[in-house]
Amino acid sequence: MSESLGMLELARVFGWLHELLVDTGLGEPWVTIITYAVLAVVVFGVLAVLALFLVWWERKIAGHIQQRFGPMRNGWHGWYQTIMDGLKLLQKEDVIIATRDKPVFFWAPVICFVAAFLAYVVMPFGKDLIVADLNIGILYILAVTTFTVISLLMAGWASHNKYALLGGMRSAAQVVSYEVPMVVSILVIVLFVGSLSMQDIVTAQSGNIFNWFIFRVPFGPIAFATYIIAATAEANRTPFDIPEAEQELVAGFNIEYSGMKFAMFFLAEFINLFTVSAIAVTLFFGGWNGAILPSWLWFLLKTCGVVLLLMLFRWTYPRLRVDQLMRFSWKFLVPVTFANLIIGAIIKYAGWYW
Amino acid sequence: MAILKDIKELIRGLGITGKHLGRHAITIQYPEEKWTMPERSRGIVVLLSDKETGELNCTGCELCQRACPSAAIKIDAPRGEDKKKVLKEFVIDFGLCCFCGLCEESCNFCAIKMVPKYEFSDENKENLVWDIKKLQEMGLDVDYVDTRRKKKKPVDKAKPADKTSEKPAEATPSKEPNSSAGNNDQKKPEGDESSPDQKETRGEES
Amino acid sequence: MPDLRTQEYMVNMGPHHPSTHGVCRLILTMDGEKVVDIEPVIGYLHRSLEKVCENRTYAQCIPIMDRFEYVTSMSTNQVFSLAAERLAEIEVPERAEYLRVIMLELNRIASHLLFYGTTAMDCGALTPFLYGLRERELIIDLFEMTCGQRLTYNYIWVGGVSKDIPPEFEPKCREAIKIIGEKLDDYQGLLNENPIWLARMKDVGILDPDLAIAWGVSGPVLRASGVKYDLRKDDPYSIYDKFDFDIPTLEAGDNFDRYLLRIEEIKQSIRIIEQALDGLPEGPIRGKVKANFKPPEGEVYCRIENSRGEMGVYIRSDGSKKPLRVKMRGGSFNQLQVLPEIVRGKGYYIADLVAIFATLDIILPEVDR
Repeated sequence: MSESLGMLELARVFGWLHELLVDTGLGEPWVTIITYAVLAVVVFGVLAVLALFLVWWERKIAGHIQQRFGPMRNGWHGWYQTIMDGLKLLQKEDVIIATRDKPVFFWAPVICFVAAFLAYVVMPFGKDLIVADLNIGILYILAVTTFTVISLLMAGWASHNKYALLGGMRSAAQVVSYEVPMVVSILVIVLFVGSLSMQDIVTAQSGNIFNWFIFRVPFGPIAFATYIIAATAEANRTPFDIPEAEQELVAGFNIEYSGMKFAMFFLAEFINLFTVSAIAVTLFFGGWNGAILPSWLWFLLKTCGVVLLLMLFRWTYPRLRVDQLMRFSWKFLVPVTFANLIIGAIIKYAGWYW
Repeated sequence: MAILKDIKELIRGLGITGKHLGRHAITIQYPEEKWTMPERSRGIVVLLSDKETGELNCTGCELCQRACPSAAIKIDAPRGEDKKKVLKEFVIDFGLCCFCGLCEESCNFCAIKMVPKYEFSDENKENLVWDIKKLQEMGLDVDYVDTRRKKKKPVDKAKPADKTSEKPAEATPSKEPNSSAGNNDQKKPEGDESSPDQKETRGEES
Repeated sequence: MPDLRTQEYMVNMGPHHPSTHGVCRLILTMDGEKVVDIEPVIGYLHRSLEKVCENRTYAQCIPIMDRFEYVTSMSTNQVFSLAAERLAEIEVPERAEYLRVIMLELNRIASHLLFYGTTAMDCGALTPFLYGLRERELIIDLFEMTCGQRLTYNYIWVGGVSKDIPPEFEPKCREAIKIIGEKLDDYQGLLNENPIWLARMKDVGILDPDLAIAWGVSGPVLRASGVKYDLRKDDPYSIYDKFDFDIPTLEAGDNFDRYLLRIEEIKQSIRIIEQALDGLPEGPIRGKVKANFKPPEGEVYCRIENSRGEMGVYIRSDGSKKPLRVKMRGGSFNQLQVLPEIVRGKGYYIADLVAIFATLDIILPEVDR
């Protein structure tokens, strides 16, 4: 079955679905389209539910760091609090402000939401559990995660509000500045794997735990550190949450959004958080590699660990000022990542170890 | 190197917040668990009743009404034919009350007290105006130390026990009314200026 | 090639804002991201307390003064009682003085813990707020045990204090200040050496000492700029001359010094409280004050060192039960006035402005009364 599919790598469950569809005799393009449509819906569904639980988890972690409980009322320790919040937001009045750019205002949250999910096309959830193992895997992810900048700019501009505009401008500057260190950190890893494909990156770390890229001193830990800082900035989280700094700009670019549109921005933020953590796990922590437990469970656990780290960052550190943020990126992170790349390249081509 | 020191400090910060993850929360889940309020806690104002007869201790002297800075207390106590004050109506508006406790401090007859009850919110502002029935009802389960002089005894020049148990070190003078000895002890002599020494620590408003 | 033409624009940091501590409107003139000028607009919290006091007797003025500056309510009670006592020449018994000092210093610690929490929150670190408030709860519980209220105490009356401390106060107080002393290390570990915090706070919002003196700034803001002036030592009131404590002073006058100074002041307050608890005498808690208290004719201005600076009350009496005129003076008013001076011409961002506003520790009820 897998041989006849060629470039599609589907796990056994979807292989069964594919077989079923082939048996109905629909014809080739339809079978592929329906299979991919089902996959997309499943991945979207799983991720949407995951985002809801991530919101709940963030509130619980924040609560326990602050020695309080967090949500407790809706369900055991508030597990369906986010669902109730979503229902509440659905009932809110959808305020459309008096602006000339109503289509821009409308499409900004949609684009943000969609762009957040696009990265999961190439995410290796487990052994053979990937929607499409493109041979440009990581490059595709980097390209797609930049879409959110456009939506933030659209939101800031169309909101017809000085605070929102400031928020949008700042976020565009921030994301663009932190793309460079993120890309160069990833480049070091790609250098060692020799391929951009996500499954290849994961299989390059298989075998021993010390094959994971984070343990490959010296370039591994430095690449991880710079990647995690750049990823926090990409996800607009404290200490880099200038675009939505509540204390300064009263929620920045999403001031004027209410109801479901606000919910879309909010969920997209948490999907982004999960994306950057998943990429970190794939690149540095061995992806789905691991003994005894099934591979997708390892992936989930490791990603949740990185998410916990990012949440701890949020609730511990104060916020950087916008010029300090830029200075940190351009004057510190970029030279460090380039130096790391050179070190990595020298190690690889001299063949000393790794 | 400065960068290593910075990294060390950042990780130290993470350690401080991280160690709280293992600690139990210090908040309680209200309304399932309630905090025991200290006994001096200033909650609502209630009218106290005599422990045996069940009648209100209040004599209508209006000292509390004069002491209130927010004009939240309204008393209607006209004088009857035998020159005694008869308490007809006692209204406290909790929308105006600032919970300062000056009314309790000004009372000489253990009639009004601030108790640690705090669950009295309402959706209508009108329901926050409590009349004499409700004030008495809320005060029925309040335990208090009755420091009034007993009705049968003559005027006692010796120092009685302090009115409340919270002022052990204060040297209060005896509660000597300026009126003649034959009067009912519980009647407050009228007029503002006539009893400056009643309780030296009272605040009054003329 | 035409020159690039930019224009300054106005942003309204309006009365409703998460980080103006109270309802204060700031009209900012901005050039790009930088703040060029500020114009504060106040009056949103004006309750005409001074006029209200003219229709209340002296005993009833104490709860009104509570609301003048509700974060350090004991200080407002104290300054008014002190003024009335000076006017009528009432002597306060010693136990009452000791109790007053204990309550005042506990209130100072509570106010500085709140400052710590809100400043950190304004800069984005959301957790220290909860830590500061957790310790403040210990102090507020002590107050509730003594006088019954958690924010507006009505405790320090003309002539003494209103109620004596219950027997469980002293061990709980000692335990509370011990816990606070230990937790201060936690707080400082979270923030003091944090490079992000230092980048936000160091060399930002420098207040020149001459400027501070010219605008009448007092309290921790003045002492962080290098001027060693504390009313507890320079114009002693109550029994502060009996206690042994230092006045921390720092040189730079920037945000970080103002923040660090208040943490040091908490440590000094803990020292004072320990000495006061050790030396607490027995005795009455209220001096001889008549029920219808009528001070003689005259006027008095009395000032104390509040956690925000000099807090003063001017009372003019015409011999009757009610004061003829009460004027309240709070430290936050001067500090709000000096805020545009600090910011003008330096090219600060909004983030810096928020941090400066937070470290000046301005609270609006003192400004607006």
